[in-house]
Amino acid sequence: MAASTNSQATITDEFATKIKAENTRARITRIAPMLVLFALVLFFSILRGSVFLSIGNLSAILNQLAIPLLIAMGLTFVIMIGCIDLSIDGSVGMAGSLMSLLVLNTKNGNNLGLLGLVLAVLASVLIGAIIGVIYVKLKIPSFMVSFSFMYICMGLAMLSYGGIPATITDTFLVSVPKMNFIGIPIITWVAIAMFCVAYFIQEYTAFGRYIYAVGTDENIPRMAGVDVNRVKILVFAFAGLCFGIAGVLGGIRLGQGQMQIGTGTMFPAQAAVVVGGTALSGGKGGILNTLIGVLIITVLDDGLLLMSVNPYIKTGIQGLIILVAVALTVTRSNKIIMK
Amino acid sequence: MLEESKMEKKLLFRASNITKVFAGTRALKGVDLDIYEGEVVGLIGENGAGKSTLLKIIIGVQPQTQGEMTMFGKPYEPKTPRDANGAGIGMVFQEQSLIVNLTVGQNIFFGQEKKFRKYGFVNWKKMYKDTETALENVSCSHIPARKKVLDLNFATRQMVEIAKVVNLTRSSGHDHCLILLDEPTSVLNETEVQQLFTEIRKLTAQGHSVVFVSHRLDEILAISDRVYVYKDGENAGNMPTADADEAKLYEMMVGHSTTTEYYKLDQQRKPDPEAVLDIKNLGLHGVFKNVSFKLNKGEILGIVGVVGSGKEDICSVICGDEHPTFGEMYVKGEKRTYFSPAQALSDGVLMIPKERMEEGIVSGLSVNENIAMSNVRLLRSGPFLSSKKMVGQSDEWIKRLRIKTAGKDELLARLSGGNQQKVVFARALCSQSDILILNHPTRGVDVGAKEEIYGLIRDMVKQGKSVILLGDTLDECIGMSNRIIVMCDGLVTGEFDAPVEDKPTQVSVVSLMM
Amino acid sequence: MMNSLNLSIARKASIKKNLMHYISFLAIFILVLVFTAMDKSFVNQANLKNLLSDTAPLMVMAAGMTFVILLGSIDLSTGAVCSVANVLVVKYIAEFSDKMENVYIAAALAYLIAVAFGLFAGLIIGVLQAKLKLPSFIASLGLMSVWKSVALLITEAPVSIPKKSWGTIGWSRINFGLIGLPLVLALSLIIFYYILQTKTVFGKSVMAIGGNERAARMAGMNINKTKILAFVLNGFCAALGGIFLAAKLKSSAPTVGDSFTLLVIASVALGGTALLGGKGSLLGTILGVFTVSIIRNGMNIVGVDVFWQNIVFGLVVLCAIAITSDRSGRSLVVK
Repeated sequence: MAASTNSQATITDEFATKIKAENTRARITRIAPMLVLFALVLFFSILRGSVFLSIGNLSAILNQLAIPLLIAMGLTFVIMIGCIDLSIDGSVGMAGSLMSLLVLNTKNGNNLGLLGLVLAVLASVLIGAIIGVIYVKLKIPSFMVSFSFMYICMGLAMLSYGGIPATITDTFLVSVPKMNFIGIPIITWVAIAMFCVAYFIQEYTAFGRYIYAVGTDENIPRMAGVDVNRVKILVFAFAGLCFGIAGVLGGIRLGQGQMQIGTGTMFPAQAAVVVGGTALSGGKGGILNTLIGVLIITVLDDGLLLMSVNPYIKTGIQGLIILVAVALTVTRSNKIIMK
Repeated sequence: MLEESKMEKKLLFRASNITKVFAGTRALKGVDLDIYEGEVVGLIGENGAGKSTLLKIIIGVQPQTQGEMTMFGKPYEPKTPRDANGAGIGMVFQEQSLIVNLTVGQNIFFGQEKKFRKYGFVNWKKMYKDTETALENVSCSHIPARKKVLDLNFATRQMVEIAKVVNLTRSSGHDHCLILLDEPTSVLNETEVQQLFTEIRKLTAQGHSVVFVSHRLDEILAISDRVYVYKDGENAGNMPTADADEAKLYEMMVGHSTTTEYYKLDQQRKPDPEAVLDIKNLGLHGVFKNVSFKLNKGEILGIVGVVGSGKEDICSVICGDEHPTFGEMYVKGEKRTYFSPAQALSDGVLMIPKERMEEGIVSGLSVNENIAMSNVRLLRSGPFLSSKKMVGQSDEWIKRLRIKTAGKDELLARLSGGNQQKVVFARALCSQSDILILNHPTRGVDVGAKEEIYGLIRDMVKQGKSVILLGDTLDECIGMSNRIIVMCDGLVTGEFDAPVEDKPTQVSVVSLMM
Repeated sequence: MMNSLNLSIARKASIKKNLMHYISFLAIFILVLVFTAMDKSFVNQANLKNLLSDTAPLMVMAAGMTFVILLGSIDLSTGAVCSVANVLVVKYIAEFSDKMENVYIAAALAYLIAVAFGLFAGLIIGVLQAKLKLPSFIASLGLMSVWKSVALLITEAPVSIPKKSWGTIGWSRINFGLIGLPLVLALSLIIFYYILQTKTVFGKSVMAIGGNERAARMAGMNINKTKILAFVLNGFCAALGGIFLAAKLKSSAPTVGDSFTLLVIASVALGGTALLGGKGSLLGTILGVFTVSIIRNGMNIVGVDVFWQNIVFGLVVLCAIAITSDRSGRSLVVK
């Protein structure tokens, strides 16, 4: 018995070292995104230093990151519960289109002003909630439900303006894109405000903790009496909120409401979330991670532009980033089936 | 251990005449359990003796079919674990229930954030203060309340789980609680186990009671005041630990040996001297190590062990599902490393898995399709499959194994457990594999089908196949095998010859399993 | 008792199994009636010819997607692969026919390049899913954006096939009455795939993996090879679809395939193939493809705005998936 007890401790020690190795890997994944961002900034500073680090360029970056940041915030919570939301392009475009038809515009007599903005955002919230409910109640995978809704929202957007986009004529809204506060555009401030709200929700509410729990293992919070379905639906609704706000701001920035406001907004957001360190499996990462991710994607886009790289390459690179980031963080085991 | 006599101690919890029936099998048959305040009660018994089922009933995960429970003398009928918590009972499950990306405090108070809510957001400062009190109550003030569970080692995580459970039950307002610990030491080393014991003694000193379930007999004897032994879903006896010794406990744990006819002992044959499988120093990091044995042609080699012994993982490695981290495997004389069961199958090695529904059958496909899964390649005629061959094969095996089905096109979901198992056997027998690993082959199968399967296994070795058997019960394994290997906590602890005329007793085997 | 419970579950399952087929048949019937009532020209020769010729590329792509979905996976990059193959084939028909005497050989080489790309795209996603264990939806999402970029980099604007090469795409104008050669080829392909599904090791493996991948693995089936082959076949079909479109439209466009992904998934779902895999068949997909085609063509004839199509197909896909999904059995966690 003595000999076996001795070796038995070794098996437990083996197990402990295995866990320690996993923890070290987790720690590396936590700081990796920051290193990547640092490396990128360094890279572009060396190659295009004077232009890249100029005030003009930096403020362009601040401008650029507003909409992706908004979208990525909403998407972060969805990915943290282990799901995904592919409806982004549609939801954003729909909100922007609806908004342009509700405020003072060239197509109809509406003049709902602020209320118009709110209603447009609510439309996206509603879509998000519906996606959540269908996913939860009908048990259809979230990628499929949200993929279908991308098209439904695209259709609704185009339907709303019937092929001819409305131009916004509300004087206040027309002037918003040019408004700054301490040198930072108002639109970016809205994104920063949402970031603070999202961070607050994540860290200072029970709901934020439940998101981590549901993403780690649904059964644990369920056994503790948490309404897991409600958490999931709220996460999708919050995502809808973020997409709606992004759409409305996009419309304001464009001065017009059309479906194209949303086109291509999904890939940068998805790339930002995964490259920031929020794993697809759920339960890890968070809003701060996504902020770094959005910075990485925006700096990369900006840098490539400065280097006169063909703009069509942008989406492709974002796709590659998604693939690499997910490949590095996915758990590989024979017992867990990935489809 | 406290020396107070039972008369002075109050009865905390009582379970009387608990019966649990699952789809035709009786997991528990009229079981009793009494817990007094301030004591540690150890539960022991083999796999399937009913310990886990009883704990699940006590904590409210599933209801009993019959029987009553009382807590503090009042009737106790939990519908959910939260009801149990409210009544003063908490359980630390074998699987970790902590959310690793949250902090210690957030885990301890998970689900109770309402208490700290102000204007919609949570006052973490107050919660961490309460966390520190909760940790103090289990003498764990050294654990930082704001640290992420991810950064703690397993022993500390175990302590956090206990603190969480104690906190939950105490917040129900009761002074003394009942804490159920299910295999708490499986991931702890010796020092950590001792630390756990110290914690448990501190808990009982405060008047709480602990139910301690473990397969390690020495631990049970070290920590508990009284011991309950369960066997085949029934009480086999209970006694103060002071009066117990290992030999007595082993005797109580094992079931009676069944008749020779059941296991068709008359058909047990001597194996050939050539080795078809030679395992040398096989190891899987953190699961098992230093495992070496040979499997001879025509032999039935049984591997026995309790939960966590590593026997199932050895089978996973041999059949190709898992890749070993150390050691060598020789199959029919050739050195082999398998990265998938497909590779193992090409050498003639195949496993019939334990979990029929998850790993054995495709319930959406027909009997015909299921039988053909392992040997599709052999059913070709030209570039395409011959449905004639496939149908012929299914017809033959349905007849030979007496599979009760409406027809070969019937969906497997419709068949009974025993018949589904027969389909899996048919598949294995068609596959032309001659080294078969049978992982709990009679699990969830009725008695009649069991006997047929035993006959089938005897036939298989008669035809020259070799079998590694993980039996559903110790008795079954001893009865069926030519030789038995005993595993405990990842190591081989013993080997027995089991010839027809001199089968080892269950007691002698069990003592090496724990 | 256990058996009667199993029996009623099984009975419900078999009705459900064919439910989607009944619904699709019914839908086709009703749709034809409604569209004809709204605009008689729906059933005239010209339109029927049109409808059937539109169906060919869809059928080709849906054939490949069926295997992927039967496995339990998905390929969202199908449309983008189709686009790349489409621009590749036209680009190289133009380039090679400039450099070579024989326009037919030039075209054949161009076709080969397009097909090779399709196979390559399928191989990549197959390896990503099977070996690197990436979830197929994210792998195909990432690749979708890569291929979209590639298509735009090859050509920004639509390119026409030069007149001298029009003979090489003449095959797409051959008709047998109402039915064009492309549709005949597409039907042959899908029937061949049906034979693959029912009469080859590959087909049996796909059904087993889709039904229970763990069980298929433990039974000794070759999981990786099967998965990769299914994705490669899908890539091949996507490329073929791109070629068909190039021949039909006599030109290429870098976004030509984008709208097809949803339509292809809708076709497979309406054909009775469950999203989670293990159930369905290529014959069903034929039915689904016709249903989708009729909806599309009918809406065009009747004058429904294009944007309604997005809404309609989005809803159709959701309904079809909801109907074919088996919520009773699986206790697994859906994400």
